[in-house]
Amino acid sequence: MPLFALRCEQARRELGEGPVALLDPDGRRVWQISPVARRIGVRPGLTISQAIGLCPTLRLCEPDPVHYDAAFARLLAALNNVSPVVEAAELGRAFVGVDGLGRLYGGPKEQLAALRAALAEVPGGHERLGWGMGKFVSWVAATRAEPGAAVIVPRGSEAAFLARQPLALLPLDPDTERRLRLLGLHSLGALAALPEQAVVAQFGALGRRLWRLAAGVLVEAVVGMERPEPVTATLSFFSPVADREMLVHAFDRLLERALADPRRRGWRVRLLRARAELERGGSWLVEIVLKDPTAERAVLAAPLRTRLDQSPPARAIERLAVEFAAFAPGTTALDLFARDATAAARAERRRALRHATREITLRLRRPMLYRIIEVQPWSRLPERRYALIDFES
Amino acid sequence: MVASSRASLRADRLRVLNAPRPVTVDLDGSDPVAVWLSASDRSVVDAILEVWRIDDEWWRQRIARRYVEAVLEGGARVVFFEDLATGHWFLQQA
Repeated sequence: MPLFALRCEQARRELGEGPVALLDPDGRRVWQISPVARRIGVRPGLTISQAIGLCPTLRLCEPDPVHYDAAFARLLAALNNVSPVVEAAELGRAFVGVDGLGRLYGGPKEQLAALRAALAEVPGGHERLGWGMGKFVSWVAATRAEPGAAVIVPRGSEAAFLARQPLALLPLDPDTERRLRLLGLHSLGALAALPEQAVVAQFGALGRRLWRLAAGVLVEAVVGMERPEPVTATLSFFSPVADREMLVHAFDRLLERALADPRRRGWRVRLLRARAELERGGSWLVEIVLKDPTAERAVLAAPLRTRLDQSPPARAIERLAVEFAAFAPGTTALDLFARDATAAARAERRRALRHATREITLRLRRPMLYRIIEVQPWSRLPERRYALIDFES
Repeated sequence: MVASSRASLRADRLRVLNAPRPVTVDLDGSDPVAVWLSASDRSVVDAILEVWRIDDEWWRQRIARRYVEAVLEGGARVVFFEDLATGHWFLQQA
C-alpha cells in the first residue's frame, strides 16, 4: 500500500481525493502527498509555506504515527489469517509466504483473492498485490499493479518480467544509482545483461546482490515473525498487602517490567493475566482480553484497576504476577517514526494533547489551543514569521 | 481504525501571530515619552534601549517602520513601532 500513512488519514477523515499532504514528524515539512497535490507541483520535503504557496487549497495533516502503527498491525493480523508467514518490511509493505497454501486456496489467483478478501476487512484500500518467486520479484510485481489489482509473475518468467523494469526498483543508495546511470544502465535487464563478475568487480558484494536480483536468480524467502512465549513479571511482598493503592502501584511496576522484556519487542499484548497468591492460601486470577492490542502501560493498567475494584482479592496478597499470555503483531520496530524513541514519545505527547483539546472543546465549544507553525521565519516583519492554526477543531 | 478526532490544517485557518496592536504614543519631537497601553493606562518611558528601521516590500506596497525598544517606568520592556506611511503607532514583540 503505497502512501500508507496518507491513506490512513484519508480513510479516517474522509478527505476524498483532493490535494492532501501529510507533514513530517517535526511538522515543518511535507512528507507524503496525494496524487492530486503532486500534479499541482507539491513535492515531499517542501516547507509548509512553499506547499501552501503552490496549492492554496492543500489540506495539511499532522502525522499520527501511533495510529498508522495500529492500522498496519491490523493489516498484518488480517494477512496472518491467510498465511502464518507474514513479514513486515516497512509501513504499508508486507510479504506473505504462500508455500503450502496451494492445497488450501488453490493457485496464485485464488491465493491473491484470499488475501484481498482478508484486506477488505481493513479500512484503507488501494492495496497492490504482487505474486512471484521471492520477495523482490513479488514486490516489483506489486509496484506494477494498479490500485486494488494484482500482477502475477509465473515461475520461470522472472528474468523476462524483471528485464523491462526500471533500475530504480533495486534497493540502491544514491551514489550507486548515480554510478549505474553513468554506465548507461536504466533497466534491470540492462544490468542483468552484463557479466556478473564485471558488476562484482565494479560494485563488490553489493554488485553481486544487485545483479542477482535484477536477473531474477536471487530468491529471498519470506521470514515470518516468531511469536514470543508468555512474558511474566512477579513481585513478592515482604508482608501481605491489601491496600488498593499499593496494589495499583505494584501493577504499574510489573507492567513496566514485562513491557521492557526484550521478547516483547515488536509485539502488542492481546491477553493479559494477573495472578496473586493470597495470605493463608488461595489465589486470585484476572484475565483480560484486549480488543485493541497495545504495548502502552497505562492502557494495560486501566482494566486491571477496574477488576481490582470490581472483584478484589478475598485476602491480602503475598505474591503478585502479571503475565502477557498472547500477542498481536506490532510494528514498533519497523515504524518509520518509532525507530526514533524520541519521535515515538513526541507522538504520544501529541496524542495526549489532542485528547486534552477534545475535552476543552467539549466544555468550551472552542478548542482554545493553537499550534505555532513557521510561515516566513526569515521575514523582517515579525507578524509574518509565524502563524497560529487550530490545534484541533 | 481509531476514529478521527482531528481536523486538517488549511491555509484559510491560519491566524496571525504577533500582530501589531494599535497604541497611542506621546512624543517629545520624534522621541516617545509615554505609551498608552490602554485608555486609562499611561506608562512613562524610562529609557530607550534601541531604535531601528525596517523598509520592506518596496516592490509591492512599501512598508516602512521605525521600531523603538524601551523600558517603561516600573521596569517593563516593550517594543513599539511607528508606521512611517500613516504615522500610527503599534505595539509588537520584535
